[in-house]
Amino acid sequence: MNAIDPRIHQALDGELAPAALSAELSRVVERLVTAAALLAAPLPLASLESRVMAAIRRPVPSPARRLLRWLATPRAITFRVRPVWSLAFAAVVALLTLFPLGHEGPDIGEHEGIAQFVGRFPGAQSVHVVGSFNDWRSGSIALEDVDQDGVWRATVVLPTGAYEYMFVVDGERWVPDHLAERLVADEFGRENSIVIVRPARR
Amino acid sequence: MDVTGAPSDAEVVARVLGGDSEAFALVVRRYEAGLLRFAARMLGSRDAAADAVAESFVRAYRHLASCREPARLRTWLYRIVANRCKSHLARRPIADVSLDEAPAVADAADTELNLERAEQLALVQRALVRLSPEKREAFLLKHVEGLSYEEMAAVTGERVPTLKMRVHRAREALLQVLEEYE
Amino acid sequence: MKLWLGLALLAGPLAAQSAEARLEGRVPGAAIPAVDSLVQRAYAEGLPTEPLIQKALEGGAKQVTAPRIVAAVQVSLGQLRDARDLLVHGGDEPPVTPGEVTTVAWALRRGLPGPVVQRVLVALPRPPRASAMHAVADLVAHHFDPDSGADLIIAAIGQGLVPERLLDVSAAAARELQRGHTHAEALALVRQELPNVPASPKPTRSAVARARRPAAPTPP
Repeated sequence: MNAIDPRIHQALDGELAPAALSAELSRVVERLVTAAALLAAPLPLASLESRVMAAIRRPVPSPARRLLRWLATPRAITFRVRPVWSLAFAAVVALLTLFPLGHEGPDIGEHEGIAQFVGRFPGAQSVHVVGSFNDWRSGSIALEDVDQDGVWRATVVLPTGAYEYMFVVDGERWVPDHLAERLVADEFGRENSIVIVRPARR
Repeated sequence: MDVTGAPSDAEVVARVLGGDSEAFALVVRRYEAGLLRFAARMLGSRDAAADAVAESFVRAYRHLASCREPARLRTWLYRIVANRCKSHLARRPIADVSLDEAPAVADAADTELNLERAEQLALVQRALVRLSPEKREAFLLKHVEGLSYEEMAAVTGERVPTLKMRVHRAREALLQVLEEYE
Repeated sequence: MKLWLGLALLAGPLAAQSAEARLEGRVPGAAIPAVDSLVQRAYAEGLPTEPLIQKALEGGAKQVTAPRIVAAVQVSLGQLRDARDLLVHGGDEPPVTPGEVTTVAWALRRGLPGPVVQRVLVALPRPPRASAMHAVADLVAHHFDPDSGADLIIAAIGQGLVPERLLDVSAAAARELQRGHTHAEALALVRQELPNVPASPKPTRSAVARARRPAAPTPP
C-alpha cells in the first residue's frame, strides 16, 4: 500500500485548510470526498420501526424456558468424561425435555394476557374471531364448540392492549360480540367490539 | 429538548426507562437511516444490514439501562451495530455488491447522470469491500457517518491515535484500489 | 471533517415498502396507492401508521369497496391528528409518542369529548394513560356523564391507584349500576371505596392451560 502525502490526511482531518493544498493534492482529497459522499447516500430500505417495536412488545422468554430451549437444541459439544457422568447428563437432559417443569399451557410473558371469547351460534360450522390482533385475518383464531351446545369459545394469549374485533361465522357472516361491553364504530357502517387485554401476571 | 422542540436523546431514554416503551420508536426513527447505511456498507448486503440493525435496536432497548451516557445514545447504538457487524463478518465474509445498487432516479432527464453515479458507487463499494473490516469500519465511521475520533473511540474501544492511523491507512488503501479499477 | 457533497440522491419513503407489502393481496388494488400515500403522510407527521394499516386491512377483510376503504383511512388519519393536537395542547412536548397518539385516538373514538380527554391528560402528565382513558370511556359507555366519570378516575389517580387498576374502578361503578343504584349513587359508592376497589379476578389456571396463541399466518 502506498503512503500518501501527509498533508492530504491533515486536510481530511480538518487540521489543514484545503486552500493550502496544491492542485494535485486537492484532486486526491476530492477523490476521497466524492467516494465518501457516494457511500453516504441514504439507502432505499424499509423502515425497521414496526419490526423493532413488534419485537420489543414480544415477551422475553423466562430463564427456565431459555435453558430448556438451549438443552433441547442440537449442538456439537466435545468433552471427555467418565462414562458414569455422561450417562447421568443424558438422563438429566432426557428428563427435562420429556417432562417440562411444572408446565400448564403457554408461558405467558410480562406484557401478555388472556382474552376469552364466547359466542352463541347454534348450527354454525365454524366460528373465528378476527380483529386488530391478527391483522383481520380469518383462520388464525378459531372458536370451538367442544360439547356441541352451540356455545363457541376460545381462550387466546395476546399482548396487552386494546383491540377491535368481530366474529366470523361459517367463513362469511360478520357478527359483533353481543357479550362485549365495549363497542366502537368501524367506519364501514358497523360496530366492532373492543377487548382490553390486561397483564395476566398482576 | 433541542431547538426544533424534539425531545433530546436523554429525555427519550428517561421516558423509556420510566415505562413508556413506545417512546423507543423515536429512537428507531431517529437513527435507523444512518445505522442501516453503515451496516449495509460494512456487510455488503441490505438484508443482512436490516437484520443486524433490527437486532441491535432490540438489544439496545433491552439493555437501555446500561447506556451510561444517554446524551451520547447515538455513539452507543453505533457501538452495538459495529459489534454485530463484526460477529456477522467473522461467520461469513462480505458479499460483493452488484451494480443493482443504483440510487433512485430523481428525474427522467437525469437518467444518464444517475447511471454514471450508480457506476461510480458500485466501483467505490467494490473498493470498500477489499479493505479489511477494521479499515472499512474506520473509513465509514469517520467519513460516511461523520463521527469524531473521540466518538469513534467510544464505538470501537480503540485509542484515538490508533484510529487515526487506521483511517489514514484506509484512505490510502481505498485510493490504491480505486486507481487499480481505472 | 464530515465529508458531504450536494448529490441529489432520492431515498424512497422508508414506510412505503412495509405498508404496501402488508396490504398487497388483502386490500383491493385500487385502494393501495391512496392508502399508502396516507400512511406516508402520517409517517412524515410523526403519527403512528399502524392504525391506518389496520383500518385498511379491516376494510379488505370485510370486503368493502376501495373508495370506502380510502375514506375510512382518511377518517382515521384525521382522528390521529386530533389526538396529537390534544396531546400537545395538554402539555406533551412534540413529537408526542406514537403510542400516546393511539391511546388518545382510542378515547376520542369511544366517545370521550376533547375537554374530558384533556382533563385526564393533565391529571396524568406522563404516559402510560391508556388504562385511564379506557376507564373513563367505559363509564361513558355505561351512560355516566363524561365529566363525572373523569372526576372519579382522576380521584382514583389522586389516591395513588396504578394505571392498571383504573379499569377496576370503572368496573366497580358498572357493578353498582347492575345492583340497581343510580349513576350518581354508583359514583358516590365507588368513590367511598377508593383506593380499595376490588381487583378484577386474574385468569384461572384452567383458562391459562386452555389458552393458545393465534396461529401464524400462512405465507401467500
